[in-house]
Amino acid sequence: MNFEAVKAIYIFEMARMRRTLLQSVVSPVLSTSLYFIVFGAAIGSRIEEIDGVPYGSFIVPGLMMLTLLQNSISNASFGIYFPKFVGTIYEVLSAPISFLEIVLGYVGAAATKSLILGTIILATAHLFVPIEIRHPFWMLFFLVATAVTFSLFGFIIGIWADNFEKLQLIPLLVVTPLVFLGGSFYSIEMLPEFWQKVTLANPVLYLISGFRWSFYETSDVSVEVSIAMILLFLALCLGLVWWIFKTGYRLKT
Amino acid sequence: MQHAISISKLSKVYDSGLAALQEVDLDIRNGEILALLGPNGAGKTTLISIVCGIVNATNGKVSVQGHDIISEFRAARERIGLVPQELHVETFETVWDTVSYSRGLFGKKPNPPLIEQLLKDLTLWDKKDSKILELSGGMKRRVMIAKALAHEPKILFLDEPTAGVDVELRKDMWQLVRRLREGGVTIILTTHYIEEAEEIADRVGVINKGRLILVEEKSELMRKLGKKQLTVELNEVLETLPEALGGYDLDLENGGERIVYRYNSQAERTGIGSLLADLNRAGISVKDIATEQSSLEDIFVTLVEESR
Repeated sequence: MNFEAVKAIYIFEMARMRRTLLQSVVSPVLSTSLYFIVFGAAIGSRIEEIDGVPYGSFIVPGLMMLTLLQNSISNASFGIYFPKFVGTIYEVLSAPISFLEIVLGYVGAAATKSLILGTIILATAHLFVPIEIRHPFWMLFFLVATAVTFSLFGFIIGIWADNFEKLQLIPLLVVTPLVFLGGSFYSIEMLPEFWQKVTLANPVLYLISGFRWSFYETSDVSVEVSIAMILLFLALCLGLVWWIFKTGYRLKT
Repeated sequence: MQHAISISKLSKVYDSGLAALQEVDLDIRNGEILALLGPNGAGKTTLISIVCGIVNATNGKVSVQGHDIISEFRAARERIGLVPQELHVETFETVWDTVSYSRGLFGKKPNPPLIEQLLKDLTLWDKKDSKILELSGGMKRRVMIAKALAHEPKILFLDEPTAGVDVELRKDMWQLVRRLREGGVTIILTTHYIEEAEEIADRVGVINKGRLILVEEKSELMRKLGKKQLTVELNEVLETLPEALGGYDLDLENGGERIVYRYNSQAERTGIGSLLADLNRAGISVKDIATEQSSLEDIFVTLVEESR
């Protein structure tokens, strides 16, 4: 195991976050605050409690997941896309490191950034509404598992993308709608029965539901199913990354 | 004896169908400077990229100091430093950070004094805290060399190191290459500039259309393939060459003021003595004579043309 290389990539990637502190940290905090003002205060005041949880508190896990998913994907996809774009990827490919070590460095850094952001969002939310975490261990499990899984997914997108448009395509056209429709801001019980069934096909629902359960013990689907789903995504992404490095897809000619 | 790099039957066919390398065999000795010459698209960069792990070979085997580049990729790659042809550098990082990063990437523990020395050797020390974005093209090239050397490789690949580089940097680079060789580093460089190979290489390999046409000691190559020519300046203008001189490979140049004789310096008898005697016998009065040896460039052009 080439620990020095993993460390080098990790530190190098984290340094980029420090350089872009303003856009990395300030903008998610700002947008979360805006969500609270719009959904929590303006709309939330007209919504009663959901499953015994005040609406403002109810949306906190969903908001964290929204930020976590978006940032994990964008951090990781940009982290690997940029060296491809400027050509410095040659150095990573010619270094004595295995695919596992490359992934550990890049995905580790991207997931760390998302976790830091998730924590900041939680702290920001705490200023607006009361929050309770009934199952801290599972809350942490969902947080870390989601950050890692979607950083892996972002890494895959970054390798697949051969221009900046493609880099934005999946997050914008697929992930954001799935997050919004996955129950970030509502319980699916509020939907007509037909749409409830449709929503069950949305993978993000399981993440948000499980994560919310760790806070308030209320969920749209059972927590076991949520755990199984997140592990399934993780395995899928790992499998894809393994295949990418085995075949050299979009990396080696 | 174990070679620095041993390449056997290496082939590469790109997805487009382009056969970039065809059954290349090449052994590179430890501690030598090998220059790979060849026109654009000959396969030089593909060869280097395969050895370094950036391009997958279609067929063939490569080992680096006895370590296979696939099954023992770690041992193989940590011995190699690569300076690619294109200027691929990070933009927003500082010189110090990017060079230190390269060292870590190759599995070596941080060693600030070594990086400091390296940056000083490459006259980059006063730029160590500058962002790479702010550097000139020549400085970026130096940064790439520093990155390639940061993990103290045993073998260094320089892919067109002096393309688009000013004279000063080129001279610095040659000096650096010599110094590295004295320290036991094997150097493989590809170049368009024949004078570069002539100046610093021990051996010369010529690649054309994916085939390695030859690999030879530079001096041997020049001796073997080097034609010499004798130029005879005349006192009086000659309209045509006398028939008595028909047995020699002669040209009348400069409006008849000069006779040029091409001969093989390897031949047992160069024919110079008899030519001069025959000139004398024909009553041609000689003002001056000079001999010239063809350069590596002439040899290269001849080789590439012959392999067409």
